[in-house]
Amino acid sequence: MYVKNIRLKQYRNYSDIALQIENTVNVIVGENAQGKTNLMEAIHMLAFAKSHRTSKDKELIGWNHEFARIEASVEREQRHVDLEVILSAKGKKVKKNGIEQKKLSEYIGACNVVMFAPEDLNLVKGGPNMRRRFIDMEIGQISPVYLHDLSKYQRILKQRNQLLKGMFPVPSREQELTLEVIDEQYIEAAVKVIQRRYGFLQQLEGWASEIHTRITQGREQLELQYDPSANIHAEMEASALAEQLRAELERRRENEIRRGLSLAGPHRDEMKLLVNERDVQTYGSQGQQRTAALSLKMAEIELIRAYVGEYPILLLDDVLSELDQHRQSHLLDAIQGKVQTFVTTTSIESIKHETIERATVFTARQGQLEKQ
Amino acid sequence: MQYPTPISQLIDSFMKLPGIGPKTAGRLAFYVLDMKEDDVLEFAKALVNAKRELTYCSVCHHITDTDPCYICQDKQRDRSIVCVVQDVKDVIAMEKMREFSGLYHVLHGAISPMDGIGPEDINVPDLLTRLQDEQIQEVIIATNPTIEGEATAMYISKLLKPTGMKVTRIAHGLPIGGDLEYADEVTLSKAIEGRREL
Ligand SMILES: Nc1ncnc2c1ncn2[C@@H]1O[C@H](COP(=O)(O)OP(=O)(O)OP(=O)(O)O)[C@@H](O)[C@H]1O
Ligand SMILES: [Mg+2]
Ligand SMILES: [Zn+2]
Repeated sequence: MYVKNIRLKQYRNYSDIALQIENTVNVIVGENAQGKTNLMEAIHMLAFAKSHRTSKDKELIGWNHEFARIEASVEREQRHVDLEVILSAKGKKVKKNGIEQKKLSEYIGACNVVMFAPEDLNLVKGGPNMRRRFIDMEIGQISPVYLHDLSKYQRILKQRNQLLKGMFPVPSREQELTLEVIDEQYIEAAVKVIQRRYGFLQQLEGWASEIHTRITQGREQLELQYDPSANIHAEMEASALAEQLRAELERRRENEIRRGLSLAGPHRDEMKLLVNERDVQTYGSQGQQRTAALSLKMAEIELIRAYVGEYPILLLDDVLSELDQHRQSHLLDAIQGKVQTFVTTTSIESIKHETIERATVFTARQGQLEKQ
Repeated sequence: MQYPTPISQLIDSFMKLPGIGPKTAGRLAFYVLDMKEDDVLEFAKALVNAKRELTYCSVCHHITDTDPCYICQDKQRDRSIVCVVQDVKDVIAMEKMREFSGLYHVLHGAISPMDGIGPEDINVPDLLTRLQDEQIQEVIIATNPTIEGEATAMYISKLLKPTGMKVTRIAHGLPIGGDLEYADEVTLSKAIEGRREL
């Protein structure tokens, strides 16, 4: 799929721009603080209705303006979709082909995007919440059902935590019965999330390990593991998994009531990356961590294609210059001619690859974009 | 600008209604000033009467001007079956449908720890007493298909299981007459999950 044109109104430092995009690879060149990342963020918003760098939508609205709007038309294999995201003090509206979508889960997935920015290099060395967010966003964009199940789980989790807080020090009979009921809801929702994540990681691992081996010329073997917070086996079938989780909740009951918190479940699960059987987060060198992050992102591109039947749109924000020549060309060779890509950089000379030489170049300057 | 007290009091009163902000309240208040005095009096009387004369039925907690309510008093209705709903407006919706001829029990809410609502805060305890001394044989639970509505349904059915009472839950999923083609993926997958044997 590819973006054919995009229009930004009062979005960050863009007051009003319209871009026609004709090429597969597009490079946005500009000095610092000119709006390169803002454009990437806008394309990310189209796919996820969420920024990749902030959860506060208000920050996206141009200063001194009441609203911001992103519009784009996206060509897909057999069809064409017009997408629109409108932000205002009242909240966020999303439209598909001019029709407002009340639920985000019905909007997300209309256009698929994979973004790779310098902070993603932290995917490997950062905290577990970064990896959970990565998994949830990526499954979410191929499965609206997952988004629905996840948000259901999160709401049950909130209810459960609140109930636990009220149960200390002496729970009433009603509270105990309510916990039994909420536990059933919690377990059912948790099992769905865990199974989906486990399956996703298995598939992602298939591509990621192959790509990783190729980049390291056979020296390294990458593995992805789902590491649950409870003592359960994520690979088991649903009813057995529910049974295990029930027992784990039982075991933690007193502790959970004392702390007023749910201590076992998908919100605390981890994803581990192993290189040659060792945890890269702990033992990997910086180079190994980068390669692992790159392998994950490249695997994601393939996974989306397998699910959706088309390649996603790739956003490379400032990241090419962070990769050495060898890793750069691995990435660029892999996407060549197949994946619509937006690349930002402060200096185009730092990227040497034929893909970049054939690209369309836009210069970003003070909220304006000019085709070269 | 400062309004004369009677107007600002009227504006403040309108603002106590849900969904009405200062702008709308101002518009309504000035509209009232232009109304005929008789209409204004009638309006005021209707407000007071609604509040004074309507109460909740002591049996089923539906809104009513007689106690028990007209549904609970109706001898034609099937007294062996009770439909448990969250709100008064659910009773009204069911009655419009004219398919159900049993009795109701209005909970006035659903279990939600986040909002500080436990089973004892909605009319669950007196549903139990009611089931003991009437000829009720079946309870249909028609709480909303939300997390809180489901939790409430499960809670009630857990309490009733040991009594041997027949407990059923109304079906949710595709709306009747809903077109499969236009159902979104999530609704569809939930409908498939909730399928029953025929
Ligand atoms: N809501 C907003 N309204 C107007 N301008 C904004 C808003 N938010 C951010 N900006 C401005 O946008 C500018 C450019 O941001 P952006 O992150 O796109 O830069 P960049 O071109 O990617 O720079 P770098 O090369 O440093 O990454 C910032 O200088 C900031 O002042
Ligand atoms: Mg930037
Ligand atoms: Zn009644």
